[in-house]
Amino acid sequence: MIDAVKPPAPSAPRSATLPTPSETTLDNGLRVIAFAQRSGPKALGVPLIAAQLIVRGGGSSEAEAEAGLCALTASLLTTGTQRATALEIAEQVDALGARLDANSGYDASVVSVSATTPVFREAFAIFRDLQRPAFAAAEVERVRTKSIGDLGLTYSNPSALARLVASRVAYGASPYGHPLAGTAETLAALTREKIAAFHGRWYRPDNAVLVIGGDIVPADAFALADAVFGDWLVPPNALPIAVPQAAPAAQPRLVVVDKPDAGRTAIVAGRVAIARNSSDYYAGTVATAVLSGYSGRLNQEIRVKRGLSYGAGAQLVTRRDPGMFLASTLVDHSKVAEAVGVVRATLEGLAQAPVDTAELAPRKETVTGAFYRGIETLDGIAGTLGELALYDVPLADLNEYVARIAAIGPADVQRFAAAYIAADPFLVLVGNAKIFGEAIRAAHPEATFIAADGLDLNVASLTAASLTAAP
Amino acid sequence: MTRSVPPVRASIALTPVDFTDRTLANGLRVLLVEDHRVPSVAINVGYRVGGKDDPPGRSGFAHLFEHLMFKGTANSAPETMDRLTEDVGGYNNAFTAEDITNYYEVVPSNHLETLLWAEADRLAALRITQAHFETEREVVIGEYDQRILAEPYGMLDELVNREAYTLHPYKRGVIGDPDNLNAATLDDVVQFHATYYRPDNAVLVVVGDFDPAETQGWIERYFGAIPKAAGSVPRVTLVEPPQTAERAICYRAANVPLPAVDYAYHIPAANTPDGAALDLAETILGAGKSSRLYHSLVYGKQLATSAYARADLREHPGLFEFSVVLSRGSDVADARKALDAEILRLRGELVSAQELERAKTQIASSFVRGRQTYNGIALSLVRAAIERNDPGAVNTDLARYLAVSAEDVQRVATTYLHADNRTVVEYLPE
Repeated sequence: MIDAVKPPAPSAPRSATLPTPSETTLDNGLRVIAFAQRSGPKALGVPLIAAQLIVRGGGSSEAEAEAGLCALTASLLTTGTQRATALEIAEQVDALGARLDANSGYDASVVSVSATTPVFREAFAIFRDLQRPAFAAAEVERVRTKSIGDLGLTYSNPSALARLVASRVAYGASPYGHPLAGTAETLAALTREKIAAFHGRWYRPDNAVLVIGGDIVPADAFALADAVFGDWLVPPNALPIAVPQAAPAAQPRLVVVDKPDAGRTAIVAGRVAIARNSSDYYAGTVATAVLSGYSGRLNQEIRVKRGLSYGAGAQLVTRRDPGMFLASTLVDHSKVAEAVGVVRATLEGLAQAPVDTAELAPRKETVTGAFYRGIETLDGIAGTLGELALYDVPLADLNEYVARIAAIGPADVQRFAAAYIAADPFLVLVGNAKIFGEAIRAAHPEATFIAADGLDLNVASLTAASLTAAP
Repeated sequence: MTRSVPPVRASIALTPVDFTDRTLANGLRVLLVEDHRVPSVAINVGYRVGGKDDPPGRSGFAHLFEHLMFKGTANSAPETMDRLTEDVGGYNNAFTAEDITNYYEVVPSNHLETLLWAEADRLAALRITQAHFETEREVVIGEYDQRILAEPYGMLDELVNREAYTLHPYKRGVIGDPDNLNAATLDDVVQFHATYYRPDNAVLVVVGDFDPAETQGWIERYFGAIPKAAGSVPRVTLVEPPQTAERAICYRAANVPLPAVDYAYHIPAANTPDGAALDLAETILGAGKSSRLYHSLVYGKQLATSAYARADLREHPGLFEFSVVLSRGSDVADARKALDAEILRLRGELVSAQELERAKTQIASSFVRGRQTYNGIALSLVRAAIERNDPGAVNTDLARYLAVSAEDVQRVATTYLHADNRTVVEYLPE
């Protein structure tokens, strides 16, 4: 007979010395952060350099009626400058074996570049040139058409649509409430002039952070930054002040979007939680990990124990102002009421009793494991440092993060869950309400029902007309 | 003979991968790279078995096995690999190609011993039940339905291999044949495992944060305990006869948004000297927006929406492929004429110094990027060991590429890219 052979237990976690960033500020106000990662004994560096420019101007800096302006602006940066067309840029970057990318979030727009050491200066010059964008009319139209086309795909996906509705429920008309990618109406109304004005207003050296690292020592990185970005002029007008998040007007807390063609129903439960620079960030990260992943509580309760879904998880979205905690799953239309009950009970359970250490330890390992995987590449390190700088978190966090996660105990998780996860969560359901609507209305008479064709993401009320009756 | 090899910006100082290489008494080859940038490790176990080793009439067995290896052992439940990786902040997966089946995990370094145990356990004590065999066979057939039948151009690779090879088992592809799989029995499957899943047919690679002496001890304990298998592993010895005349087929299917054309030319095996020049020809012709095919077919004449070249170098002689998807309204004959002109140009005149330098810069860049992660390093070692029997190639390949001259590129184009050596597949809407 075979004795049950058990896998050997893990040893104590091993530590690592990560790069130590250093920084300077150029005369034009551009903050420059540098880190070196070069080959040493038993640490293979690569002859590669990565840089990111983080501009403090994101979707929360655009007006509700101009939703998508920031995203469109970022997308257009790589489609032509005053010196080079979109194809010329693509060709030059390609010929260098470089990578160039631009994207945006609610708090910032990020442009990134990486290239091997011998050609990095050439790639970095192209990267600098992107701040002299052409915003050519033809490119504006091309990107606008593609963006509007992409919306159709987003709206057809119940999970993606539920997240857009959740942002409106959480933030109403305040700046994190409108969709980052815009709507067909707002995108159609954006003009080249508005795009250029957005760029002129927010993309300026005294409103940006430049991170450079890899196969370059900080002194050389600072000199290169000064040589290439030193001529970036500060505009004469004063730097605009970012609009703070106002508390939303009373929003419905339980919204059902009736989407008869949805294959399954998306369930999103959540609430406004914490900012990135909150001291609760680490407790929140661990609490979310207890709920998330295959062996996290949500998936265990919803998929493994009850077979209600293929998966369920949670996410802590942290931003300059408080972001959202979100729990989500996708279930058969007929299982919605049961799954909603399980989601709510699971979130409440985390607040009611401390997590025991045997459960907590592996969930914390998922957090540190993901952190180390994230910084295995130069882009990953640059991105992590850029985020710390954006949110005014000390850069030393890069080397302290793992210890801070290790210090989180059951009481911290319980306290965070009570304050930011279980307390009065909103609920968004997107699916075929013909099947589950009655059960939800019976259990939650306060539920607001909206037909998918009547859903209007342009406004905080989510509907242009009056709310439809329950099915 | 003059050689035009200019000094290039691609000549970068790439620190060699410092690996140890030893073979256990049972034949398992073990490659270790110690590196302490981050406290994690990548483990790869590559088996010298792939689609070409599928038994006749049992196409898809290597691929089926990739699935069965996750279904538990005498000592562990199904999906144990997921629990041992995802639940501690890591990940795992596997892939099957023509010549290799590779399993890999990335985990925090304090879990290395656990994963070495688990990989040794599924090599030695895999539990193959009728139930798992049947469910995974359905999954593989479902993959065939999804990837080959449902996706646009899904049948293209299958057709190219089937038509380009007349004898060599590369003609059967990797994913599997639903009829073959349905005809298979549990005994066939058990036999396949016994034949190929043995220590002397595998390469273990560990890259990352570990203590070498301690790790060698674990490897000896868990893998070294597996007995040496009797006899030798059967190898494919069939040699594809030289092609002497062009072969062409026209395939029509329902899910074809736009007509496509594929050319496939026979080329030598990966470990032969022409591999580097063929890779450079691929880059010059078909990699990205600065390539010749993009300029000519996509941007310039707008005959195509995409146009790629690929030197598919394999353990045995592989294929140099061109894949062109036409633009709406353009004519297959016109697109082929433009493609033929580019191939003739590569044969007829030397590539410019700038183009050669650009291609070398691009290749050097992808080399460097592949070295950023522990799993990237592990994968390059396992492939070099299995497909070329030369793990040291990870440290010598860049120099091979940099030494390629314009004359070399012209020579391989002239030698291999001629019509008699070509299979043409036109893939058209119904």
